[in-house]
Amino acid sequence: MSPALRPVLLIARREFAAKVKGRAFVVGTLVVLLLLGVYAAVVATLASNEDTARVGVAGPATALTDPLLRAAPTEGLTLTVVGAPDPAAGEAAVRAGDLDALITGDPVRPRVYVATEPDGSLERVIVDASAATARDAYLAGRGVDPAALDAVVAEAGPAVVAAEPPDPQAGRRLGLGLAGAFLLFFSIQTYGAMVAQGVVEEKSSRVVEIVLSSVRPWQLLLGKVLGLGAVGLLQLVVLGGAGLAVAAAAGVLASGAGLVSTLVSVLVWYLLGFALYATIFAAAGSLVSRQEDTQSVLSPVTITVLLGFVVGFNLLTSDPRGTGIAVISLLPPFSPLFMPARVALGVVPAGQVVLAFGLTLAFTAATLWLGGRIYANSVLRTGARVGFREALGRARG
Amino acid sequence: MLEIDGISKRFGSTVALDRMTFTVHPGELFGFVGANGAGKTTTMRIALGVLAADAGEVRLDGRPLDAVSRRRIGYMPEERGLYPRMAVGTQLRYLAELRGRSAADARAAADRWTERLGLTERRGDEVQRLSLGNQQRVQLAAALVADPDVLVLDEPFSGLDPVAVDVMSDVLRERRDAGAPVVFSSHQLELVERLCDRVGIVRAGRAVAEGTVDELRAASASELVVVAPAAPTGWADHLSGVTGSRAAEGGIVLTLADTSEATLAGVLDAARRTGPVHEFRRRRPALAEIYRGTVAGRTEPAGHGVAA
Repeated sequence: MSPALRPVLLIARREFAAKVKGRAFVVGTLVVLLLLGVYAAVVATLASNEDTARVGVAGPATALTDPLLRAAPTEGLTLTVVGAPDPAAGEAAVRAGDLDALITGDPVRPRVYVATEPDGSLERVIVDASAATARDAYLAGRGVDPAALDAVVAEAGPAVVAAEPPDPQAGRRLGLGLAGAFLLFFSIQTYGAMVAQGVVEEKSSRVVEIVLSSVRPWQLLLGKVLGLGAVGLLQLVVLGGAGLAVAAAAGVLASGAGLVSTLVSVLVWYLLGFALYATIFAAAGSLVSRQEDTQSVLSPVTITVLLGFVVGFNLLTSDPRGTGIAVISLLPPFSPLFMPARVALGVVPAGQVVLAFGLTLAFTAATLWLGGRIYANSVLRTGARVGFREALGRARG
Repeated sequence: MLEIDGISKRFGSTVALDRMTFTVHPGELFGFVGANGAGKTTTMRIALGVLAADAGEVRLDGRPLDAVSRRRIGYMPEERGLYPRMAVGTQLRYLAELRGRSAADARAAADRWTERLGLTERRGDEVQRLSLGNQQRVQLAAALVADPDVLVLDEPFSGLDPVAVDVMSDVLRERRDAGAPVVFSSHQLELVERLCDRVGIVRAGRAVAEGTVDELRAASASELVVVAPAAPTGWADHLSGVTGSRAAEGGIVLTLADTSEATLAGVLDAARRTGPVHEFRRRRPALAEIYRGTVAGRTEPAGHGVAA
């Protein structure tokens, strides 16, 4: 191992161990997992609660049974039709909740008895059924076979040829992209702030002077970013994996080609994005000496990221193929948040991915250089907040 | 051998160090004294590479210090600090490994120093749960745990209880006897005088005196204590070679321009002419007095390089 890298790995190992063994990490991860589980359970319950209805027919309206059963599938309704012995018993069953509706009287103008108001799709089914009955009677009266007419009508219709057929997975892809963007945002904000806190803790406890008498500032900075980045990655993998497992179990997610490329791009962009933001956070943290002051130097960064995230998230949901989100996903500080989402949606040309990647790499390199310089200049300065101009001054050798 | 050679440092418009120069030899305990703000801490920080000098060089065994050779230095910063939420043993091992020790060496050294400093029971405790005195001991262990070839300690005695002062003194002597150059700064001049082989006095960023306490004494004004009970006031005022006198130590203290036989004999003869002479001796000023004389009395750093 290169002698310059051993301290970096030692520092990274310390940061990793200190955080992963800490209560905050374990409890935080468990709480998020629990929330994820609750959410999945709710979704699963809602999905299993299909649209069903049970209606009773009595008297002449019994003739509606077949038209009702034919109309129900077009409304996506699973319908059960039962014959009621007499209207009074049927109405009692409706009041008791055993039936959703009781249909009596003339099949063309039936009387529908419900508890409060009819369910929307059930009402449409009944309207369809009575209309079909009226139509069939009219056609039959004029010597036309309704069944033959239906067969002819069923044959009619255009053949649509789309230049770009819609992706049947579009909804799932969007969900995946949004989840990815959110996880990246969450992870970068959380662990970036942790880097800043770690820097300030070392400054406020003065241990940084001992450490810096053994290693160079860039080694300390790099070790910190690597160590905490690994913690963030671990949490990302745990949460992302759990999320995917839950989604797969709920049948929301079909594994396909889009899934693997999404996962890969989320990981790659996380690494790049974390290096970028963690360096900014570390440089910001090195400007202050006390935990109480940390927030004041971090808020400009966190607010910028938050604003970009909110704007990008809205653009992504409202118009995933629009120019706005394309531009935002190309701007280096926001690329790591939104490029993976666009990759998940499958709406991004390869050229744009390469361009965004190159821009972000260049931006990260510049940030590392500048942030490293600010960090080296400020990390030993205690007391008042270090001015930006001083922080940018000549770095020590 | 640790050589501080002409290092200068400015902070904005403030000159912190102005060609600071001194040398600490192997097997030598070097005391570094001076007022607050004289440049002691800045000098040590530069020696440890924590700050960059504007000019000058720090050499260890003749070679300029770099990142690798700096790891041979055990350092105790003036601003004490350790990771508050890290256990004592883990922390010491970590600091030793950062200075290039193998994991096994680091473990052995951490165990050895915690035992030596009476912290065996505390190895598993977080530093923030320790008493202040024990935290100071951990701090000393942190400076020693990488088995350094050189020790640079900034105010190592401040905040120590008397027992810890003894432990610290023993450890410093032990390292010195093992052949390490040891330099520490302190405001406790009696301690420095008792402990140190050589002393450097700094004022306004410059070393204004450097040498053994005896050498510094020799360089400071020679004084003579004469106790002659029957002598009239002002009896010695006009003697040849006497530049001043004051009443002190039960008689009078004469400041001499030189310590030649002629001057001494002249003073003794004059004293005996006044009556009985109970005491006649060269005065040995304490380091504190030399220090006051050096730091306060001179506008020109004339003592520079007294014995360097």
